[in-house]
Amino acid sequence: MTPAIVTESLTKYYGRQVGIERLDLEVRSGEIFGFIGPNGAGKTTTIRLLLDFLHPTAGRALVLGLDVHRHSVEVRRSVGYLPGEFGLDVRMTGRQLFAYFARLRGMDSLGWAPMLADRLDLDLDLPMGRLSRGNRQKIGLLQALFHRPQLLILDEPTTGLDPLVQDTFLQILRETRDDGRTVFLSSHILSEVERVCDRVAIVRGGRLAALETTESLLEKQRKRVILVFASPVDPSAFAALPGVTNVQADGNTVILRLDDGIDGVVKLAAQHTLLDLKTEHPSLDEVFMDYYEREERWQN
Amino acid sequence: MAELGQLRALVAYEVSRRWRSLLVWGVALGGLGALYVALYPSMKTFMEQYLEQAPENMRRFLGELRGPLTAEQWLGMEFLDMLLPVALPFLVITMGARALAGREERKTLDLLLGNPLARRQLVVSSLLTMAASLALVLAVTWVISYLAVAIVGVELGAGRLASALAALWPMCLLFGALALLLSALVRRSAIAIAVPAVVLIAMYVVEALAQVSKTMEPVRIVSFFYHLGSPIQGDFPWTTVLAMLGGVCLLGLCASIAFERRDLYT
Repeated sequence: MTPAIVTESLTKYYGRQVGIERLDLEVRSGEIFGFIGPNGAGKTTTIRLLLDFLHPTAGRALVLGLDVHRHSVEVRRSVGYLPGEFGLDVRMTGRQLFAYFARLRGMDSLGWAPMLADRLDLDLDLPMGRLSRGNRQKIGLLQALFHRPQLLILDEPTTGLDPLVQDTFLQILRETRDDGRTVFLSSHILSEVERVCDRVAIVRGGRLAALETTESLLEKQRKRVILVFASPVDPSAFAALPGVTNVQADGNTVILRLDDGIDGVVKLAAQHTLLDLKTEHPSLDEVFMDYYEREERWQN
Repeated sequence: MAELGQLRALVAYEVSRRWRSLLVWGVALGGLGALYVALYPSMKTFMEQYLEQAPENMRRFLGELRGPLTAEQWLGMEFLDMLLPVALPFLVITMGARALAGREERKTLDLLLGNPLARRQLVVSSLLTMAASLALVLAVTWVISYLAVAIVGVELGAGRLASALAALWPMCLLFGALALLLSALVRRSAIAIAVPAVVLIAMYVVEALAQVSKTMEPVRIVSFFYHLGSPIQGDFPWTTVLAMLGGVCLLGLCASIAFERRDLYT
């Protein structure tokens, strides 16, 4: 099956400043792909290159098997796009906007807009200037979804949405995937990426830092181990174990991060009176921070 | 065919979005035209006496007027050659500047280009929107001005007034196309408004000075006002109009190429 997105050494410089550099990425059809990174990491640059809004300095990108520059119009026909920031014609109603966009797409109806508006609890007949920030964001989401695109490219889609609407929206994304369509989701909110994405790419300084399934990314990362003893113990013995970092002692409790197997920790803990032992997999936030800390250490 | 449908949708949306302001422009300019028509009978004698005693330079500035002042001369002197050609281009200059750079500034370009539109379609639709808007404003101006002609009973042919207004259409459009080109190039709507505005005013000043100063005469060739002349008093300037329409197409083509080649930002 043709991948939904392929980038080959995709590079964009703004003068001397790096936007993204030699980005090689493949997003499979029918998956929800998370694209995470801090501000200025190159997420929006990548998205704008995929839509042919920016011209690459080097490399190329294919969307649904088509070169994004040479077949820009065809690509955008099959793509639903939500920008990170967008303005709306404040005098228009949502219904008028969708009627306009439907005409531009050669559709003779509003497509899925009324049904989606109903699910997201959005009034399509109010002038958009009178909508709250969250409701304007819903307009943005709907215009990306209403024509039932093969590929959704979403830049920070849940900004301004309340938790209930976020849930509904993530459910819509799952349904999109179940329908065989693809979602490319750029987000700062790592918990939502963790909840919904099949695979995740982490970008840093315009470069790809990691690309894995969400599950394996979380699995592979250092676990947090919490040991509760009957009395305070010396934490330095734990710190000396291979694969153990970030050892903290707080009263009878020792908390540490573990890269390798837990055997050494258990054996050392057994030399004391151990009341409880808990292991926690890190959240995507922690994984993300971990990548950044490692990168910084490596650079220093 | 799909592209034509999209162009129709783009132009229809932009014109319908502006119809109120276009109507205001048309009514305001038509109202001024009507006012000048209404003033003609009472101003005729006064102006004839004034022109007899006016210094030579002033007579030249007012278009070498001699003998009885006709309605065409009066409207040309006060309205069609002086007020309209300076005021009306600003309508399309702002439209041209906002079509691309303005959309970027207002962050509406991304949503629009998220649709399957070629960038050139946006440039062409902007030109067509300007052309249609201008035509609408000129038509309303003509209707209101001619109503005044009929009511006041001034001797002025409907065709003569229409052709004088129609001659302004390509010149205004040319300034709009220049604003569109700058909008495609520089991403700042303020610059895209300022440059054509300065060019417009400079051309007007050059032509005005050339009418009173012989030393400025060779320079007036650079002014569109010189080439346009005063169509209400004479023949329709076909060559100038066609050349200006050619200029509009050329500027549109350059805008399309520039917009196609540049990066779009939010």
